[in-house]
Amino acid sequence: MRSPDPKTGPAVVCRGVVKQFYLYSHRTTSLREWFIRSALGRPIHIRHAEFSLRDFNLRVDRGETVALIGPNGGGKSTVLRLIAGIYTPTAGTVETSGRIAAVIELGAGFNMELTGAENIELYGSIMGLGRDRLARHFDEIVSFAGIGKFIETPVKYYSSGMMARLAFSVAVNAQPEILLLDEVLAVGDQSFQEKCHERLRAFQAGGGTMVIVSHDLNTVSAFCSRVVWLESGLTRMGGDAGTVVEAYRASADRGGRQAG
Amino acid sequence: MKHTPILVELWRFRGLLRSLVVRDLKVKYQRSLLGLVWTLLNPLLTMVILVTVFTYVLRIQVPHYWAYLLSGFFAWNFIQWTLYQSTTVLRQHASLSRSVYYPPEILILSASLSKLVEFLLEIVIVMIALVAFHHRAIPSSLILFPVIVAIQLIMAIGLMFPLAVFSVLYYDLQHALPIVITSLFYISPVFYPVEMIPEAARPYYYLNPLVGVLELFHVILYEGRWPSLTLLASVSAVALAICACGHAVFKRYKEICVEIA
Repeated sequence: MRSPDPKTGPAVVCRGVVKQFYLYSHRTTSLREWFIRSALGRPIHIRHAEFSLRDFNLRVDRGETVALIGPNGGGKSTVLRLIAGIYTPTAGTVETSGRIAAVIELGAGFNMELTGAENIELYGSIMGLGRDRLARHFDEIVSFAGIGKFIETPVKYYSSGMMARLAFSVAVNAQPEILLLDEVLAVGDQSFQEKCHERLRAFQAGGGTMVIVSHDLNTVSAFCSRVVWLESGLTRMGGDAGTVVEAYRASADRGGRQAG
Repeated sequence: MKHTPILVELWRFRGLLRSLVVRDLKVKYQRSLLGLVWTLLNPLLTMVILVTVFTYVLRIQVPHYWAYLLSGFFAWNFIQWTLYQSTTVLRQHASLSRSVYYPPEILILSASLSKLVEFLLEIVIVMIALVAFHHRAIPSSLILFPVIVAIQLIMAIGLMFPLAVFSVLYYDLQHALPIVITSLFYISPVFYPVEMIPEAARPYYYLNPLVGVLELFHVILYEGRWPSLTLLASVSAVALAICACGHAVFKRYKEICVEIA
């Protein structure tokens, strides 16, 4: 899945990507049932294919920031997982070049019993930070997250904001070439969000590539050159950020009025 | 990513593997007063019971029976706990697997290696006891000890692979495993020597892959002899074969398991 030339060329290319999940209205998970069902000649599983994503094409150039917007269940997180290599596409190809850090489910990978410091180490290696790099950036991660004196406290006593800040702080300090963020820009208080934005701008200025999922259209317009609008697994619209966000807003308003 | 050989891929993720093992041990022991003593206490109590029963009640004719039991029991204990771990490890890390990419084999390795750390601490104590009270010398066969630990680890990992994916697909496995493990305990030479199995039944008895591994432990630790090359080679071959087949099964189902775990 890695393209041969890491320096030039696009960072992410999705070609004709299809991701299909099976939606089970009945899934046999016990052997007893399996025996009964096969003895009676009934199907083992009753399922139908649900397309999470259909014919998805995306090219993200090096240094570009692209946002995925759209209603819930549209396939946005699926795209991030396909890019991260967590899911394998049912059809089509996903090519990436460069080190990836993804923050998709906040706090996934944290261990609640361990302290903030221990979790930085754990989450750092999940994000692909080497031990020496982690040691060098440790103080930076802590100060950016604003955890301060709670660093030796088990994470289970953290507020959700603190946890989010810690996760985000480790991810940006992992110095990836491609950063995938799912709804994490919305966490934290005002001052932390400002710090985040500042940090992401520095990341962009340094030539980093980002793919973000967000419902916050203001952030999207501020950060992204290009936006893809996904709905029910299909690309409704893709292109210049201003145009797509405006169209999406207009459609959401219409939808809102109809519902109201 | 797709075409990288698995060993290369695992090597790339060795940092993560290390952190997961450290995490497992820290979470287990950091905030308990007695810490590692608990790991020792449990098998030791079982051992005291077994020694009492089989020395005074059902007299098994093995000189220094406690030494015999000690040599194999911790190896058995290691295999038993790795098998139990394998049924929960994928589901425990479901949310992690859905947010970052890593080869899921890492989870199997980390579960087995954190058990291995405990095993090694236990076995050091066992060896000291054996050297001090049983052999009263240091047998040269102990040189082979790292080899049999490697064989044991490879076999355990090989058995964990299919168990891990099938316990995500079928919840039955979690219920069935205790029964299987209890049976295995009786059909493996843990508390009795292989020689007590009737000659005619031996070929079938050896179908259990754990028999050979435990025999190696008994030969090297209890008898203090070098094992025959045939035994060593055949057990190694079986362990490698189990690991290869187990991994083939794991590979076939691992993607779906990441999605549904």
